Amino acid sequence: MSGSKKTFVITRFDPDRDEAPRQQSYEIEVDPRWKVLDALNHIKDEVDPSLSHRWSCRMAVCGSCGMMVDGKPSLTCKDSLADHGDTVEVAPLANFPVVRDLVVELEGFLDKLKQVKPWIIRAKERAVEEGTHRQSPAEHQEFKQFSMCINCMLCYSACPVVANEPDFLGPAAIALGHRYNLDSRDEGDHERQEVFRGEGSVFSCSYANECSEVCPKNVDPAAAVNQAKFRAVIDWATSFVVPRGGEG
Amino acid sequence: MGRPAHPDAMKSSRPSPTRMAPPQMPSEYPMGGRYRAYTLFDATGFVYLLVGLLGVRVVWALGDGPVAWAQLQSELQNPLYVGFHLLALLSVLFVGVRFFRLFPKAQPPRIGPAKPPPQPVILGGLYAAWLGVTLLMAAILSGGLL
Repeated sequence: MSGSKKTFVITRFDPDRDEAPRQQSYEIEVDPRWKVLDALNHIKDEVDPSLSHRWSCRMAVCGSCGMMVDGKPSLTCKDSLADHGDTVEVAPLANFPVVRDLVVELEGFLDKLKQVKPWIIRAKERAVEEGTHRQSPAEHQEFKQFSMCINCMLCYSACPVVANEPDFLGPAAIALGHRYNLDSRDEGDHERQEVFRGEGSVFSCSYANECSEVCPKNVDPAAAVNQAKFRAVIDWATSFVVPRGGEG
Repeated sequence: MGRPAHPDAMKSSRPSPTRMAPPQMPSEYPMGGRYRAYTLFDATGFVYLLVGLLGVRVVWALGDGPVAWAQLQSELQNPLYVGFHLLALLSVLFVGVRFFRLFPKAQPPRIGPAKPPPQPVILGGLYAAWLGVTLLMAAILSGGLL
């Protein structure tokens, strides 16, 4: 390996020993082609096996390796070391409780995700013999962008509202709920609107747009959240004209 | 490391079997990196509050008669007031440009059967409406339409 040396300042936290997170430095020789994740794996494999971090696919698909790199939310398997200086700071994702070192607790997100019902809801299921639900390419295009989310949590880590309002559903959950509201096969819009207008509503978003800036898959969650606001207002206004909850 | 976030931020509804470190805000928040523009955007709300209070004072002086009105007009010549109005103008321009930059993508792809026009058309419409309203207000306030 013909590389240069870099110092990694990594936030460590051992719940059995540490009162609070602390920083530990590692100076290692790096290959200029490495991503940040390669360096973390090298440290774990060759220098300090006690370091804990999550990763899986190494190709920006699984969304496991999100961390704060030099203060910014980053997918470490996609983040090239060449874009960083001689000292690289790596910390667990902001706005999340930390389980250990660079590993954060994701259960809070799963609670929020469940609330928006991220699945196709039908008022009445179609019989199998009636065939499949057909969807045109144009109808698919309407929600495709929002279905590219890999749940990497970078958007939650960048959002100032998530940091201050624990009930806020947050960018990825709203984007996924909105994705199903836009799906021509779905009929669950009104159910999700109750969630979107309820506690932790879409209106908590103050449109910092940071979620979209850090999204590694160009999902643009800020667009989803603000489109959801628009739909929530229209749904609320039309509810006075078209009564809800009655028999079809 | 950043400042502490809300202790319940992204907390699970189920109790955790292990002790965890509390969530931290992004280290750049609120005045570093891209957060600076967002924080300034929010801070302009204070400028609008002061503009609103000044508006109340203007109406009050108008109700108090010609002497109070003339005195207020004289006070408004003060460089501090001129500076404040310049700050308010900059705030409006900053918020307007930021809002117009972000607004088009907030359009739903469809409302019923209607689809919104392409983003450049929305953007052009917003700036045209802004300019039109500004010119209309300027004409009314300068007495041109009365």
